[in-house]
Amino acid sequence: MGQNKIPVDLLLAGLAEDAEEAQSRAQKASDVLLEPLDTSIAVTDYEVVYEEDRVKLKHYVPVIEPKSKTPLLVVYALINRETMLDLQPGRSVVETFLKEGIDLYMVDWGYPTRKDKFLTIDDHVNGYMDNIVDFVRQKCGVDKINLMGICMGGTFCVIYSALHSEKIKNLITTVTPTNFDTDQGLLHVWMKHTDVDRMVDSFGNMPGDMMNLGFLLLNPARLMIDKYVGFVENMDKKDFVENFIRMEKWIFDSPDVPGETFRQFIKDLYQKNLLIRNKMEVGGQRVDLNNITMPLLNFYGHFDHLVPPGACDLLTSKVGSRDTEDVCLQTGHIGIYVSSRCQKEFVPKIVKWLAQRDEDQEPVAAHD
Amino acid sequence: MKASNEFWETALGSWQGGFGKAASADSSKKTSTGRARESWETTAKTWRAMATVMGEPGAMDGVFKGLSGLPDIVVKLIQPAWNGLFHLQKEWAERAGRIGESSAAYSFDNLDQEAFRAWTQIYDKEFRQFLKIPQLGLTRSYQERLQEATDKFNIFQTTMAEFVSLLYLPIEKSFKVQQDKLSEMAEAGRLPTNSKDYYKMWVKILEGHYMNLFQSPEYAQTLARTLNAVSDFTTARHGMLQDALQFLPLPNQKDMDELYREIYLLKKRINALEKKNQNQGKTDDM
Repeated sequence: MGQNKIPVDLLLAGLAEDAEEAQSRAQKASDVLLEPLDTSIAVTDYEVVYEEDRVKLKHYVPVIEPKSKTPLLVVYALINRETMLDLQPGRSVVETFLKEGIDLYMVDWGYPTRKDKFLTIDDHVNGYMDNIVDFVRQKCGVDKINLMGICMGGTFCVIYSALHSEKIKNLITTVTPTNFDTDQGLLHVWMKHTDVDRMVDSFGNMPGDMMNLGFLLLNPARLMIDKYVGFVENMDKKDFVENFIRMEKWIFDSPDVPGETFRQFIKDLYQKNLLIRNKMEVGGQRVDLNNITMPLLNFYGHFDHLVPPGACDLLTSKVGSRDTEDVCLQTGHIGIYVSSRCQKEFVPKIVKWLAQRDEDQEPVAAHD
Repeated sequence: MKASNEFWETALGSWQGGFGKAASADSSKKTSTGRARESWETTAKTWRAMATVMGEPGAMDGVFKGLSGLPDIVVKLIQPAWNGLFHLQKEWAERAGRIGESSAAYSFDNLDQEAFRAWTQIYDKEFRQFLKIPQLGLTRSYQERLQEATDKFNIFQTTMAEFVSLLYLPIEKSFKVQQDKLSEMAEAGRLPTNSKDYYKMWVKILEGHYMNLFQSPEYAQTLARTLNAVSDFTTARHGMLQDALQFLPLPNQKDMDELYREIYLLKKRINALEKKNQNQGKTDDM
């Protein structure tokens, strides 16, 4: 009699072991879930130093004497919230910047309501952003500031730097889409078929939940199944549960996007790819990337499924600056900011790059 | 006829007598009772004239002859209406018949996306027109918006069902592929002993299928159709709700949007003026 090819005995033994493990895990998990959990995010101290409509400017309280006179302004996307850069102590881009002696400001776009549906890219870039940049310049007594953009916020920063190059000393773009004529990312494929006029006309603002559903559908096997299987497997570990819930809090904290901004972003960028071709118009002015003459550091993720490398890596060759650098990290869209490995590469690289380009500036009249 | 005529003449006479006494007793009530009596007298005169004519020999023959022709007249009156109704019913029956034909043409044996497309087409060709029938009267625009919302809801439901079924396809396929793989592994004696390995294998297969699906033009088109259907239904629903809201002392979304737009434009103008003023001030200082 030949040996059975299906190891039934081993399988059954494995299953019995798994069942026993699951039972013990469930017992511990109930203890973990029922005791108080620390799931707070964005806990680094800051002051709100400027407010305009729904928009706020956060100034993070320095933990050491700033090493550079030039402040760094971080502009997040209108999709999701800037709290991602400060998820938890020990896993916070904000915290690392402060420890490195960066004078850090960050734009909090707030939660747009129906009354914000008419706000365009022009209102965000030439309105809110320009007012904030002027405020920071004046507060710090500098002519130029360093500007760092994240995702859609990076695209805004590129537009801003092209239109107001005299106010920006160094530009850092991270996972920033500028070339939309690529089939690498599913969003780029899907957006070409989307009737954005119909959506904006019916919804007013683009609902955050609807966009989140779209992002989940980019990889449902991982984001809707495997992720939660992973949670169940580790729900007996308090640290894991706390971190997991912090991430969930951030992911599903999705403000709506002002309708007209969304319309222009999809039509001019995703569908017509005007920015990289120097054909985009914002506030009646053509956005010419040749005006970006300041140093440019461009980060992107090799495994980014939202903003793939093909959407990011053309920028450095299209700007007027000769001091440019592309940095491709072996991670995804969010991993750049939250993965432990990237924490060791990302901020230190920016700090070093800025330090190399930091020069003394003649202070302008500071108001405080 | 004659007897009846005589009875009503007597009744009228006695009432006139009563009315006359009452009128002389209270002249203030003359106006109202006089109008009633006049009306009664007019009716009585018409009745007397009719009765006299009908009482003449040969008159009833004419009436009965006329009555015998009545069915023809009724039939002539009813026929066009009946024909119209019958035609409508026939058309409905034909449309219902075509439902089967349409589904057969799309072959329900292959119950995948074709079923949804078949239903969408049937709805579009056969049912939707009923919701497009022009409405009449004072409330026509409200009825039209209600029908529009019903129509858009039906389309949204169908499109969403198609989209969800499309999303389910990779799950179905992944189970099948997993089974095939396991059979192969079993034959080769390489079956994993750890249950987690089975799950990992399935998730990997599922992810692959989703990637294939998402990159297909069919998915992009279905997604676009679904988003359009959601948008259209939302717009139609808003239109209907606005109708309801206008009867309440509340501003509706259209009112608020107009207001928001005005505020937006005003703020823009103020900001531009402020900047202009600041620049002017700086120039003056220099």
